[in-house]
Amino acid sequence: MGRVKIARKSTFIDMTAMSDVTVLLLTFFMLTSTFLSKEPATVITPASVSTEKVQETNVLQVLVSPKGQVWLTMNNDTSAQWSNANMRKALLENMTALYNEQHKNNPVSFTPAQKETFSKLGAFGVPMAQMGEFLSLADEPEGLTKMDEWLAGEDPNPKHVSGIPIFKENTEDRPNEFQMWIKAARTAGNENLSQAMKDGMGVAIKADQNTSFEVIHMVMDNLQTIKQNKFTLLTALKAGGE
Amino acid sequence: MAEVQQSGGDSGKKGHQKKMQIRVDFTPMVDMNMLLITFFMLCTTMIKSQTLTIALPTNEKVQNEENMSQASADDAITIIIDAKKKPGPTPGTLVIDSVNGNVVNEIYYYDGKPGGDAGMFGPGGTVLSANNNLKKSDLLSDEVNSVGDHKARGIRQIIQERNKAVLEKVNELKKQLNDGKFGSLETKDDREKAMAKYNEEASKVRKDENIKKPVIIIKSTPEASYRGLVDILDEMQINSISKYQIDNITDVDLVMLDDYRKHQQ
Repeated sequence: MGRVKIARKSTFIDMTAMSDVTVLLLTFFMLTSTFLSKEPATVITPASVSTEKVQETNVLQVLVSPKGQVWLTMNNDTSAQWSNANMRKALLENMTALYNEQHKNNPVSFTPAQKETFSKLGAFGVPMAQMGEFLSLADEPEGLTKMDEWLAGEDPNPKHVSGIPIFKENTEDRPNEFQMWIKAARTAGNENLSQAMKDGMGVAIKADQNTSFEVIHMVMDNLQTIKQNKFTLLTALKAGGE
Repeated sequence: MAEVQQSGGDSGKKGHQKKMQIRVDFTPMVDMNMLLITFFMLCTTMIKSQTLTIALPTNEKVQNEENMSQASADDAITIIIDAKKKPGPTPGTLVIDSVNGNVVNEIYYYDGKPGGDAGMFGPGGTVLSANNNLKKSDLLSDEVNSVGDHKARGIRQIIQERNKAVLEKVNELKKQLNDGKFGSLETKDDREKAMAKYNEEASKVRKDENIKKPVIIIKSTPEASYRGLVDILDEMQINSISKYQIDNITDVDLVMLDDYRKHQQ
């Protein structure tokens, strides 16, 4: 009597096909992804029925926190002449000139290294008087983390202010720093950006849906004062639509 | 990891090279890929934000007043957005939606001038409650019945009633678009072309000076949330309103709001 022989089968599963699929998926995600840029405040934009797509290039984004702090982010041309880095350098130089014109007693100046740091920043927004100190942080160990903390308002030093100075009371002949930044961007030499700002597509306000109207109105009012009457509001698409 | 199997055995001829079967275990590779995919999936933003373009008048005060007098004609509607506050002796705490944590906004509106032609104030600055023409409304989406017909409610219904002349023409254009009168809607390209034509025509209708249409003034109290403003701006777009402006809230408006609430309690 022979015993029934159970064939021993190998449990080896061929993973080649699976690997193929995952690599394909990975390639897809790598190519389509645009990374979330780090922002000092997390905001949920309000929903709207507007289907106009946001501009990717030549736009100055004004990030408004519910507390009324304001930061700027700049997205520029894809051209080499006005790359992000070049544009930011031009912006900082322009801004320095505007600022020093008004603050003749305590002017600011930046070293080439500091300018280099500025050109690589994502969102920015500290008072000009502290900008030098802020940019110098990059050379310190763990400087980038410290810069992020400063912008997010988690800096242990209470003197470190986050957000561009902006006031409710504002006039055209004594612009505050926020107005100066916008003006500096308008006249930084990039024609495409200037045109976009003129058309209203160049300035985008990004704010949380629960921000009080008081804060939003202050930002709008400041923009109106420097005759930046047209701008866009960043919104999310409303589910369901019209 | 890699496994080399000898097939056959030594039954073959000698000197003949043995056939090797090489299998590589891809499981760790798949593991790693999955991790990377997860990383990219979590870090990407698939949905791009939308934008809403607005144009405001300049801040120069003289021009502003001109706009005001122009808007205080019969066809002006003022919409006031206010945050809902908890009732009680200490007003000021805002009502927060328990579901999504958002500030709750209330919508009010009045026609023409505040307090009508007689105005809100009697001799000596007394508030004339009888003249208060403020009405409360709501921000509601369309009611859809079983046939699929939309029926506007709340503030949308009010705006649509005032803007009837424009909306009728726009709807007519929309019908023409769907009937293919602006070109075929078959391919994506055609559809875009037809849409562009339609949009051009529609904007002509919206801006047509010969059609009676309202001027809407949007005001918001400082406490109301940004979301309320965007919601109202949306209504302007939905209801084809071409003339609207965002204005500062005035003392009279605040008095009217107060007066309205007092009489509700």
